[in-house]
Amino acid sequence: MVKVADKIDEAIEELLSDNRPWVTIVWDDPVNLMTYVTYVLMELFGYSREKAHELMMQVHTQGKAIVSTGSREEMEHDVARLHEYGLWATLQKGDQGI
Amino acid sequence: MSLEDSDHIAGFYRHGENAFVVQLSDSEREVLINLVEQILELLGERADKHVDDPLAAMVGITSHDSPPEDEVLMRLLPNAYADQVDASEFRRYTESTLRTKKYAHSMSMRISIKSAIDGIVEVDHDGANDWLGAMNDIRLALGVRLNVEQNSHDELELLAPDDPLRGVYAVYSWLGWLQGSLIEALMDEAI
Repeated sequence: MVKVADKIDEAIEELLSDNRPWVTIVWDDPVNLMTYVTYVLMELFGYSREKAHELMMQVHTQGKAIVSTGSREEMEHDVARLHEYGLWATLQKGDQGI
Repeated sequence: MSLEDSDHIAGFYRHGENAFVVQLSDSEREVLINLVEQILELLGERADKHVDDPLAAMVGITSHDSPPEDEVLMRLLPNAYADQVDASEFRRYTESTLRTKKYAHSMSMRISIKSAIDGIVEVDHDGANDWLGAMNDIRLALGVRLNVEQNSHDELELLAPDDPLRGVYAVYSWLGWLQGSLIEALMDEAI
């Protein structure tokens, strides 16, 4: 029992110490026009044309890009808005694998 | 080149500060209406026929927690998480809202085409965004049919004249061009 309790404590501590923010990722997609991806990032996030273009190019050349960072709720909101405009987006905790 | 041809080449253009205009031929409007209605139908099929819990209906919770089996619907209503459990949970609380928003984009596009006078469609900034979302949904749907994930642009260009996908690809390309012209008009500074 002590062992189990220790393990639970460890797990809780790990959860609490995990301060990595959540991220929204846009994935490359052969259908969406490059100018469309840029425009949607400008419209939804208020990014400058330069920043939106840079992120779009990252999606295009590297297959994906982190487009926003924040709490889980904020990222869920961002993903839902990107889905509304047909961009292929997911959210996850931290940027592992990006 | 006739005047109609030069209008055709223009695509969408900005007219003043908050109007975006395009001249569409009868057949172009017919094609667009047909496609947008197919999207509306597809989204409608996914909607819950029987919602037993009025509270759940009110806050937009649907019984759908599994992804759509239809490949096109899956692209229109994708998973938000790589993890299946998280994706299902998110879908259960948000899919109906997403469907409603996409439905609204397509309806807005449909109404503006139907109410065109002399083939001239005029939309404001919000209407333009509806068009972009709706045209994009059509292109995503056609992209699934054309299997654009696997088939390169060059391969699709070389489809045989009798290949039924050739016509689909022509529409897909034309829509991309039309969508591009609207984006360009929106990104142009107001005159």
